[in-house]
Amino acid sequence: MTALAPTALRRGAGYWLVGYRAMLRFDLASSRDWLLTFLIVQVLMGAGMALIYGFYLGDMPSAAATFVATGAPTLATMPLGMALLPGLIAVRKIDDTYDFMWSLPVPRTATAASSFTIFTLLGLPGFAVSLAIAGWRYDLDLRVSLWIVPAVLLASLMSTSVGFGVGHAVPDPTITNVITNFLVFLVLLFSPIAFPIENFPGWLATIHRVLPFWHMANVIRDALTDGLVDFVWRSYLVLGAWTVGTWLLAAWAIRRQR
Amino acid sequence: MTALAPPAMGLRRGPGYWWHSYRMMVRWELTSLRLLLPVTVMVQILTGAGFVLCLGLFFGQVPPRAALFVSTGVIVVTLVTIGLVLGPQLIAQQKAQQTYDFLWSLPVPRTTAALAWVTTNLIFGLPGMAVALVVALLRYDLDLHVSPAIVPAVLLTLFTGTMIGYAVAHALGNPMLIAAVTQLLIFMVIGFSPINFPADQLPGWLAALHRWLPLAPMADTVRAGLTAGVVEDVTRSYLVLGAWGAASVGVTAAVLGRRG
Repeated sequence: MTALAPTALRRGAGYWLVGYRAMLRFDLASSRDWLLTFLIVQVLMGAGMALIYGFYLGDMPSAAATFVATGAPTLATMPLGMALLPGLIAVRKIDDTYDFMWSLPVPRTATAASSFTIFTLLGLPGFAVSLAIAGWRYDLDLRVSLWIVPAVLLASLMSTSVGFGVGHAVPDPTITNVITNFLVFLVLLFSPIAFPIENFPGWLATIHRVLPFWHMANVIRDALTDGLVDFVWRSYLVLGAWTVGTWLLAAWAIRRQR
Repeated sequence: MTALAPPAMGLRRGPGYWWHSYRMMVRWELTSLRLLLPVTVMVQILTGAGFVLCLGLFFGQVPPRAALFVSTGVIVVTLVTIGLVLGPQLIAQQKAQQTYDFLWSLPVPRTTAALAWVTTNLIFGLPGMAVALVVALLRYDLDLHVSPAIVPAVLLTLFTGTMIGYAVAHALGNPMLIAAVTQLLIFMVIGFSPINFPADQLPGWLAALHRWLPLAPMADTVRAGLTAGVVEDVTRSYLVLGAWGAASVGVTAAVLGRRG
């Protein structure tokens, strides 16, 4: 009776790693379809918005230009995790391949970890291109510190986690699309990413101290400039809280579906 | 053998028949879009008012000129987005679902179908336009001088925007391509055209290019109907805009004629 696979193999750190590597390959292979779209969206949202804000503002003093340009990489990072990832999950629900994904013989945490890894890393080229274009357009003197590494990774991981949580927790894919479109609208028009939070009315500024967008911009701006951001550790903490919080949300949602 | 009798041909031509068909097509459009109508109008109102309000967040203190430009520009944006973006996507959907040929087989003159779509766009666009203007008046201290010229400006802008979208959608075969083109168009309208901000804030080459594209003339004609002394040489804008309108009617007619 060799047909029954030995169950001892299907647990433990080694099995998890094998599953994780397999899922990474699976996700990378399926990313061929949307990788180019991702890069285009990122550059349009990051560099494109930095240019557009400049057109709206007209002649800017260099401090304002620095603010706009250092917001560009945040704008490029955000839509990947928060709009495109939930969109892909929604497509799987529409195509009825969603249950298939969860039926693969790997630990669910390995599947999730693979999504986080891929989306966090795929955001990097768009991040760099957007920063380069914005820096060139506004002729910036940036002081890039090593903090850029944790700042980008955490910002990207956080937005991937929010998108993952929303994508899995919202049962109806149409509603997912409405939510992500609304998020993008909110971020582009009403978020202190490319503009100082002091421009915002008190109530909206208070909301943005809880929401993650301002904090994303803060950690990234802090790693690119000197003296523009105060209390950056607070922003790291808020981003960390959103990351963990949305992991719990996703865990609850995925368990509920079982 | 009455069953084989040809339909009475006398009924199927003339202004009376055209008018009847036009009314039928407007009803057809409004009925088929009844689910989409509230959502679209809401989105229009939100984006229109959103643009007006978000400018206050971009600037600490909004300069009066910037407020005037965005308040008048956003009217153009709400007028053309449906024609340029939603319209082509609906037609792309019809092509994908293979109802496109059925629609053109309806026994109405094709001009009535086109004009019914323009009328529908006017119905879709007016609430967003009005709300944006009211929000702008409440939020900013605007120096508006409304003249009767606003009526032809709005109508020509709407007509040309709708017909350009129509021409794009009918001329391009691939629904995915139509979606990509319309996404780029909306990006262009909002960010890279002198609609919501003055042309001198664009790089010189882009401002020069816009003198020959339809978007800047749309903004100029509408702005000239709402303000005094802001827009120069509005006649040229009407001519450029009219030429684009005529050209897109020509393209649509050629494509539909070829199919027909």
